[in-house]
Amino acid sequence: MLHLTAWTLGRVFPSTAALPGLDAIDTKPFIRQLAREAPFTIRATLWASVLLFNLTPLLTLGIPLPAFLLSPARVDAHAQKLSGSNIYLLRQIVLMLKTIGGLAWGAMPELRAKFEMPAYPEDSGRWRQS
Amino acid sequence: MSGRHVAFQEGAAQAFDADYVVAGSGAGGAAAAITLARAGFRVALVEAGPWRDPEDYPSSMYGTMRDMFADWGQLVAMGNPLGKDAIIPIVQAKLVGGTPIINSAIVVRTPGDVLADWRERFGLGDVFNEASIGAKQDQIERELSVTETAGAGMGPSGAAMLKALIDRGAEGHAIHRNVRAACEGAMQCLQGCKRRNKRTANFLWIPELQNERGGIVLSCAPVDRVLLENGQAVGVTGRWQHPQTRQKGATFTVRAKRGVLVAASATGSAPLLQRSGIRLPALGQGWRAHPGAGVVGVYPETMDMHKGASQAVASLQYRESIGIKMEHLSLPMELFAARVGGAGQTLMHKLEDYRHCAMWVNAVRADAVGTVKQNWLGGVSVTYQPTKKDLERLRTGSKMIAEMHFSQGAYKVLPGVFGMKSEIGPDEVHLFDTAPLDNRCYTWVLSHLFGGCNLGKDPQTSVVAPDLHVRGVRKLHVVDAAAIPTTLGVNPQHTIMAMAMVAAERLVGA
Repeated sequence: MLHLTAWTLGRVFPSTAALPGLDAIDTKPFIRQLAREAPFTIRATLWASVLLFNLTPLLTLGIPLPAFLLSPARVDAHAQKLSGSNIYLLRQIVLMLKTIGGLAWGAMPELRAKFEMPAYPEDSGRWRQS
Repeated sequence: MSGRHVAFQEGAAQAFDADYVVAGSGAGGAAAAITLARAGFRVALVEAGPWRDPEDYPSSMYGTMRDMFADWGQLVAMGNPLGKDAIIPIVQAKLVGGTPIINSAIVVRTPGDVLADWRERFGLGDVFNEASIGAKQDQIERELSVTETAGAGMGPSGAAMLKALIDRGAEGHAIHRNVRAACEGAMQCLQGCKRRNKRTANFLWIPELQNERGGIVLSCAPVDRVLLENGQAVGVTGRWQHPQTRQKGATFTVRAKRGVLVAASATGSAPLLQRSGIRLPALGQGWRAHPGAGVVGVYPETMDMHKGASQAVASLQYRESIGIKMEHLSLPMELFAARVGGAGQTLMHKLEDYRHCAMWVNAVRADAVGTVKQNWLGGVSVTYQPTKKDLERLRTGSKMIAEMHFSQGAYKVLPGVFGMKSEIGPDEVHLFDTAPLDNRCYTWVLSHLFGGCNLGKDPQTSVVAPDLHVRGVRKLHVVDAAAIPTTLGVNPQHTIMAMAMVAAERLVGA
C-alpha cells in the first residue's frame, strides 16, 4: 500500500517542465509519518481513495486495467477525468488525494525555492507538559 | 497567587476544586474564564487540546493539521452524500486558546441589526445590547491590541481587492485584527503567528489566569460530561488524551461550587450536554454557519499570496442586500493545491501560476439551518447544507468577484465551480448566471459556526434562557458560539468574546 500510495500521489502531482511534482521525490517517509500520526479515519479514507483511483480506469477511460498498469499519458488522462467526473463521490476521491498530496507537495523545499518562499523549518510538535 | 497547569496525565484519577469550571478555552471560554478570575473567583479552565506556545507552533500545513486542527480537520458537515448533498469541511482548532490561534484574527463589532433582532425575537435585550456588548468590545480591543491592517500586512492580493472595491464604488476596508502593528505580513495567520503579533489567549489571558489569578488549567483534557446532581451542575469529568498518540490517560474530575460554563464550540457544546444526559427539544438544533467559497483571479504580475496577512480586506457592502460578506483570503500552497480544479498535468499547469493568483471569497449569511449531535461512534455529526437561496447568493457574489478580478487586470478567473468552465475570460463572467445550484458543485468551507445550544425565550426553540441558564439545570451556562441564535453576517470572534464576558460578569454580580 505504501508504494501504491506514493505512486498515486505522484500521478496526481506529476512534475512538469516548470515545477517539481511528487514523482520527483520519495514520498514514502511522508506517507509513513502520516500513517503513524493521523487518525484512523484519515488513513482509511486515504487508502480507500488510492484503491479507488487505481480501480476506476474502466469508468473514466473504458480500460479494464488498474491505473498502475497504464501508460503515463493514460494515467494522466484518467486522473483528469476522475477529477471531473459527474459522480460526486469520485470527484471527492481526487480531492482527498489532492488534500493529502498537497501537504507533501507544498512543503517541498525545491518547490518553495522555485516560488521564492523560504523552506519550512521542522515542526517541533512540542506542547507545554506542565 | 500562582495556580497550576496540568497536562496529559496517566495513572490514578485526579480531582480538582474551583469556584467555576469552564469547559473549552477558545474565544468564549477564555474570555469568560479571565473575567471570572479577575473578579476573584478560583477558575478551572479545561481544554481538550494541548497548550502550545507560539514558538512551538508548526510552520507547515501538515504540522498545522496535526498539531492545531481539531482531529486533523476531519470534521465535516454532511447531508446525504449519496443524494444531492455535499461534504463540507469545518475548520476548527483544538488547543489551549482555541480557533482564534488559527484564524485570520478578524475583529468586527456586533452589528446593531443583529442585537436588535436578538432583542425582538429572542428576548435578549436586557443582557446583550449595544451598551453591554460595546463596553466589552472596547475592553477586548484594548487588551488584544486591535489595529487596522496596514503596511506589510496588506499584501498584494489584499491591496488589489481594496482597489477593486473602490473602483466598483463599493464599501471596502482594511480589516481590524487582534494583531500588533508590527505584523510583518508573513502569511502565517492560519498556522498560528510564531512572532506573537496575533494576540491570543494562550499567551495573554490564560497565563494571567494561571500565574496571577490562581487558576487551574487542564490541557489535553477533553470533557466527557457535565456532572449533575439534584438538577444542578456541580462539575465536569473526562479523561486526559495524549495529543500525539491519542492514547487515553487518567480520569479527571473538576468540582465547581458556583457553576459550570460550557464553551466547547458550536460543534462541541451541544454534544457535551447530550452526553451529560440533558434532554431538551432544541438541544443540537438551530445550527448555523457562514459557508464560504472563493474565486481565483490569475494576474500577469505576481500577487504572492504568501505575502501579507491571510485576510486583510473585506467588504460589507452586500451584507444586507444580498447576504454575503466579501473578503480577501490568501491560502498557503498546500491548501491552494486542493482548491484548484483538475489533477495530474492539468492541475500542475494551473499551480505553475500560484504566484500570480489572488483568491477573494464570499462568506454567505446563510438561511440554512442544521443540527449537531453526538453520534453512536462517540464522535460528532453535523448535518447542514446551504439552501438554494444561499447558493444563489454565492453565485451572485462569485460573479461580482470575477468582475472585480478582471477590473484589476486579471487575465483569467478560476471559478471553482463544477459544471462551469474551469477557466473563464473577461467576456465569460455571465456564465456564473447559469452556474449549477447544487452544493456538490462548489468548494464550500464552514468557518463561522453558531448554535446547537441557542439562546432564546421560547423553551421549544432554545436551550439557554435569557437569564443564561441552561433550561432545567441550575448553575449550568453556555458561553460560546453554540448559544448564538442567528448568523451575524460578520466574523463572530469579537461577538463571542464579548458575549462570554457579559455572561461571566452577570455571574459575578449574581
